[in-house]
Amino acid sequence: MEEKGVKGDRVSTDQPVIRLDHVSKIYPLPFGDVTALDDVSLDVEPGAFIAVMGPSGSGKSTLLNVIGCLDVPTKGDLFIAGRNIGELSDDELTDLRRDTLGFIFQQFNLIPLLTVRENVEYPLVLKTRRRESEGLVEELTRRVGLEEELLSHKPSELSGGQQQRVAIARALVNDPEILLCDEPTGNLDTKTGTLIMELLTEVNGQGKTIIMVTHDPRIAEYAHRTINLVDGKIV
Amino acid sequence: MIFFEFARRSIRLHWLRSLLAVLGIVIGVIAISSMGILGNSLVLSVGEALSDVGDTVVVYPHAGGFGNGAPLQTDTVITGRQVQQIERAVGVNDVIPLHLSADRIEVGGERGVVQVYGMDTADIPLLLEVTDGVYLRGASGAMVGQALARTYNLGVGSRITVGDQSLRVVGILAERGVGFDINPDRAVIVSDQWYRSVYGEEDYDQVIVKVRNLEEIEEVKHDIDAALNRREIEVDIFDTRMILETILETFGTISTFTTAIGGISLVVAGVSIFNVQMMSVTERTREVGIIRSIGTRRREVMKMFLYEAFLLGFLGSAIGGILSFGGGYLALLVMLQDTTFLFASSSLVYIPYGMLFGIGTSLISGVYPAWKAANLNPIEALRYE
Ligand SMILES: Nc1ncnc2c1ncn2[C@@H]1O[C@H](COP(=O)(O)OP(=O)(O)OP(=O)(O)O)[C@@H](O)[C@H]1O
Ligand SMILES: [Mg+2]
Repeated sequence: MEEKGVKGDRVSTDQPVIRLDHVSKIYPLPFGDVTALDDVSLDVEPGAFIAVMGPSGSGKSTLLNVIGCLDVPTKGDLFIAGRNIGELSDDELTDLRRDTLGFIFQQFNLIPLLTVRENVEYPLVLKTRRRESEGLVEELTRRVGLEEELLSHKPSELSGGQQQRVAIARALVNDPEILLCDEPTGNLDTKTGTLIMELLTEVNGQGKTIIMVTHDPRIAEYAHRTINLVDGKIV
Repeated sequence: MIFFEFARRSIRLHWLRSLLAVLGIVIGVIAISSMGILGNSLVLSVGEALSDVGDTVVVYPHAGGFGNGAPLQTDTVITGRQVQQIERAVGVNDVIPLHLSADRIEVGGERGVVQVYGMDTADIPLLLEVTDGVYLRGASGAMVGQALARTYNLGVGSRITVGDQSLRVVGILAERGVGFDINPDRAVIVSDQWYRSVYGEEDYDQVIVKVRNLEEIEEVKHDIDAALNRREIEVDIFDTRMILETILETFGTISTFTTAIGGISLVVAGVSIFNVQMMSVTERTREVGIIRSIGTRRREVMKMFLYEAFLLGFLGSAIGGILSFGGGYLALLVMLQDTTFLFASSSLVYIPYGMLFGIGTSLISGVYPAWKAANLNPIEALRYE
């Protein structure tokens, strides 16, 4: 990572790790534009745990995709870890996703061709270009509460809860500052969902900033703060 | 390398369609290599059959507009004076003037037509080789070509009738094959005295110059040209090496052409690789979305799919390369009935050639699918079912 070192820009802890400054996202469609995000401004302090709620189609996923540098805002500025993402190239955005952001999806989204171990170490291999992880995979496996013998299995052989734990381990392997979770418990039963939420709370306690989209008010209770979106606006 | 691992596993997972794509490359590589080997062997075998006449300059009387060097001309001749001029021009090199005509032949009631060469008996050993009997020395008597001897069942001491004259066979010539100077295999060779007395013809039809030092061929041709064609063109001068080269060039072109036909099968194989790779990209759209979202660069996605195409091409080329020995052998056996040139290095290079083309075709076919995968929108790819 060249130029303005990410870590260097965060000397003071109260500087927001995510800052949205009048961000809009408009999808142009043949029968009229869809405004998925409408002039959203938001500061997220390091270590925050934010739940994003709102009705279907209100723009929750869009917000997460924009923060996750998978989508670019139509209007407004977005800063992640002090960097203005509007100024970054596709490769730089990709590296930001790899090193600074961790993604946890409703569908788990593990890579079917790779074993559990390879899935967990994949972002690390991308970053370091080396295959050995010096015990990091084992440590993370323990941290997310996964049995070590599952490491050699393929994702398809695991239960939903186990797959989500693998996804969390994978999201943590490059020690990112931010975790983005889109309905992390949406495909899990209540009991497993609770266990996953306890794990995320623990990870948040270790200093990770978490933004989590959910429909479920009981899940939102794990967060410090809840943002409500309606028609692409924060209310 | 992790992207290579992706490629390897993806191929193993879809082994059947991968196998079919590989098979296409195998066939393409075999086609290119064996066509190349066949063409090259053709050139080599023709070259070998003709190479022993490479030191000869042939002089014909100028044929007007009809300058194709055909030795059967009746109205134009080379005079004794011109032969002397040639002798002076070429110095130490041997000059062999020839009379040539066609006549009836009869052996024990069997009739036919033969070419009759009349030449100084002292020159015969310079040009021809005897396998049976002796070289012709006296004025009468004849030597006959190998093929003619076979046809009429002639041996040393046989009697033949050429025109109205009876001749005794003193020697049988060694088989010479197709030549650009003379073709004695189906001919009768007689002394120049006999020829002149029978046909009443003093002038010559053709002059052959044997050049001792091959490097002087151009010089010798030039000297003859300077001596005889100064004022007007009196003679046409050919050297057999030039003719040989033209023929070899023609064969070379033919072999390039057949190899190119082999290349067409590789194009078909390329299409099938393209197909398989497009399928692979479509099926793995979601996977591409996942790896892009967690930090895989476009170029890395591209690499992953190119490795896959490369692996298919490499597998096909390796197998095709090995089988090309068999393919080349078979092509030679069927087309040339002679497999000696299979292991000539100029033949064998067509195998690595074919393999390179195989790998190249696969890579080229894989570029667009890989590019497409690399440029998928991550969000849409993640949503793909
Ligand atoms: N790629 C796109 N092209 C066009 N419109 C889109 C696109 N993605 C989202 N939208 C629209 O933007 C709006 C917000 O969508 P988004 O997916 O962010 O909603 P959401 O709050 O996540 O809904 P859900 O709770 O159902 O997941 C919707 O009206 C949706 O139709
Ligand atoms: Mg959504």
